Amino acid sequence: MSISDRFAELAHIRDSLGAVEADPSRIVMEKILSPTEALIAGKRTILVGTNNYLGLTFEPELLDAACAAMHEQGSGTTGSRMANGSFAGHAALERDFAEFYDVPSAMIFSTGYQTNLGLLMAILRPGDKVVLDSHSHACIYDGCRISGADFLAFRHNDPEDLRKRLRRLGGDAEGALVIAEGLYSMLGDIAPLADLCAVAKEYGAWFMVDEAHSFGVYGERGLGLCEEAGILDQVDFITGTFSKSLASLGGFCVSRHPEMQLLRYGSRPYIFTASSSPANIAAADAALRAIRTRPEIKDKLWANANRLYDGLKGLGYELASTVSPVIAVRVPSKEEGARLWNALLDEGVYVNLVLPPAAPDSAALLRCSLSAAHSFEQIDAILSAFKAASAGSDRAVGASAH
Amino acid sequence: MSHETQDLDQEIMQTLLTHLARFPTKSDELNAQTDLAADMNIDSVNMMELLMEIEDTFDVSFPLNMMANVNTVQDLANQIKQLVENRP
Repeated sequence: MSISDRFAELAHIRDSLGAVEADPSRIVMEKILSPTEALIAGKRTILVGTNNYLGLTFEPELLDAACAAMHEQGSGTTGSRMANGSFAGHAALERDFAEFYDVPSAMIFSTGYQTNLGLLMAILRPGDKVVLDSHSHACIYDGCRISGADFLAFRHNDPEDLRKRLRRLGGDAEGALVIAEGLYSMLGDIAPLADLCAVAKEYGAWFMVDEAHSFGVYGERGLGLCEEAGILDQVDFITGTFSKSLASLGGFCVSRHPEMQLLRYGSRPYIFTASSSPANIAAADAALRAIRTRPEIKDKLWANANRLYDGLKGLGYELASTVSPVIAVRVPSKEEGARLWNALLDEGVYVNLVLPPAAPDSAALLRCSLSAAHSFEQIDAILSAFKAASAGSDRAVGASAH
Repeated sequence: MSHETQDLDQEIMQTLLTHLARFPTKSDELNAQTDLAADMNIDSVNMMELLMEIEDTFDVSFPLNMMANVNTVQDLANQIKQLVENRP
């Protein structure tokens, strides 16, 4: 296949989105007004598709810390930590993560995507075995693919299916790597981590959990679903991102194995990428402090999630999972999904339109991600917009209630 | 080629064609030479589901990375046969 053919393929994808008038790339936030509002096409719009779970992007402590770091240390690091050396902030943030998780090892990466890529590319080699949840994020698949390891999927959130696949590996199951996420970003469902971990350990496999969407949101201390499942002392690697609850840009990996620090010498996405900017590091560190000291932020997020979830249920929408900060509305067709998505925009509400293959088991999803910064008035406005949007639908509101 | 091998070949091909029948093809006919990428509309999620079904049907582990060597239905059948024959 030539490069021209590839361009034609990509143009086809763009045109197919254009055909249903659902091209998210046409959305431009002309002005960001707050963690939950922006001007889109000149219209004041409530944002409910940003993953800004704790709503900290405009928090004065974060802004002050980021500005101070930029003035003190400059706008960028202009190179990788292996080449240029680490800034004190990089090392301090790693210490803070290690202390928060009470583990010997923590490493930070320049993005969440690179965190999983960096871990997997460093610890896996051709011939190694990986069994990952079939709904895993692209960066997990990509890390496995690039590593050259043999990787196979188990059915989403199904510990018995994982057991079956580990059993089939025979002696290779011992030392294999099992990968799951905490909160799955599209359907908003959570993994049965205690059961998955128990199966992995039964076969002598390593267990890795990506808490990109669950860090700061679950667990008494906000450490994520591994904390909530009571498996922090058993899970081998936990990864996460700064670009959701931590309101910045970057990623982290923590481990109970001191040897994880050795990744610095063999992880290409760590070695060959410019390190995070001083402003990003300072903002993430300030957000981490907020998670540790202000649990009420998480409580507000959950109050908002419950309010939107109950409201959408009441309107008759079919929701993809039980309540979580990600609430995905199932829509019967791609065209109806696009129509509702545009109607919501007209009503001043921005959600994520998710189409197959990113919408597992569904024709389309209208994905809402809640923020602690949403007010109850905004949640009620979102619900009114859903009600108005579905008024133009073939199905009456409530008709699809299950 | 022994009868046993022929039977296995046929069983694998028949099973694959049955599993693949639910996906639309650009040409009218689905056969051993059908190109999975060029002639069929199977997205990554459906391909993964297909591989999990194949694993369960033949009680083998089919790593997703093996798909790099698969273009046609016959290629897929060949890979499955190899896995079945080397089953621990």
